[in-house]
Amino acid sequence: MAETTATEDLDHEGAAAAEFADQLNDTPSDFVHHEEHYTSLGLSNMKLAMWLFLGSEVLLFGALISTYLLSKTRFITELVAGNPYVIEGISNGENGALVNEMIAEASVEPLFDIPFTSLSSFILLMSSLSMVLAHKSVTEGNYKNLRIWLSTTMLLGATFMAGQVYEFTTFYREGLTYDGSLLGTAFYTLTGFHGAHVTGGLIMLGSLIYLSFKNKMQMDRAETVELVGLYWHFVDIVWVLIFTIVYLIP
Amino acid sequence: MSTTTPQAVVDDHAPSHADDHEHHPTVITYWLTFVALVILTAVEVLWSYLPLDGVALVVPLLVMMVVKFAIVGGVFMHLQTDFKILNGYWFTLAFGIAIALAVAVYITVYATFKFQI
Repeated sequence: MAETTATEDLDHEGAAAAEFADQLNDTPSDFVHHEEHYTSLGLSNMKLAMWLFLGSEVLLFGALISTYLLSKTRFITELVAGNPYVIEGISNGENGALVNEMIAEASVEPLFDIPFTSLSSFILLMSSLSMVLAHKSVTEGNYKNLRIWLSTTMLLGATFMAGQVYEFTTFYREGLTYDGSLLGTAFYTLTGFHGAHVTGGLIMLGSLIYLSFKNKMQMDRAETVELVGLYWHFVDIVWVLIFTIVYLIP
Repeated sequence: MSTTTPQAVVDDHAPSHADDHEHHPTVITYWLTFVALVILTAVEVLWSYLPLDGVALVVPLLVMMVVKFAIVGGVFMHLQTDFKILNGYWFTLAFGIAIALAVAVYITVYATFKFQI
């Protein structure tokens, strides 16, 4: 009798295992929903796709930064040589002292407000920290903290953007227009593209916060938060480069 | 008779997302990383105000920039733990080749503009 029961148990386990395997093969979404397919790198396809996208973004920003450096060099050379077209392009009738200072120093540094931009950099670095803490929260199932950190990240990103708008407005009033000089074109294109990326990140963060309040951002969707985080950190990394190359190196 | 369950088979071939997170840095590491980044940024800004010129000014700024780049990529973007194939020697080699390629491209483009006929 006992032997029969043991055999039945084994049969039952075997049948359950076979059924489980069939379900995995036939309808994997019931059991492994939101689980990603992994590549030989140990990464999910989604994450690898995000890295490839970020790789293409590196090429974009690499080209923009190179263009800025070339344009700045040519602009300063022509400015110091006294090229009237270049001087006229950056003069608005009220900024004579600023233009003279740039010529005397052979640098665009007098144009920049380094303490203000340093504060912007600090804000963006802080947003990277809050983003990574948001990801940590969702992996631990702490949804309240997830909303807090996502909102903090969004607030800091919006503050950074407000700073950039203020900076652009100031530069425009000081005579650096988009079409007035090679420097202006290269500078606004580079920092403008970065600003557009930050804005895109803010939209993604807003979507995550909305989904979180709808209880659709649970532990099994942690990778979505991580992917948005990767994008956000990339935007931060690009600013690390821009801050040093454009603002700090004369 | 094998006692391997289908779940075990699945686990062998597909590392779960939870496994990935076990290798991710802790909250304290994230905070320490942030502090390091802030300190580096402060030193960068202070360095730019020093009465230095040329290589003495630019090289340390570039080095600090690359260090910040690597810290954000390695810790915040989980490059240190996610790309197992790129750990250690391979990561350094791949990173070095990428940087060398980028510098070579920049010099080529710069030379094209500088020495145009």
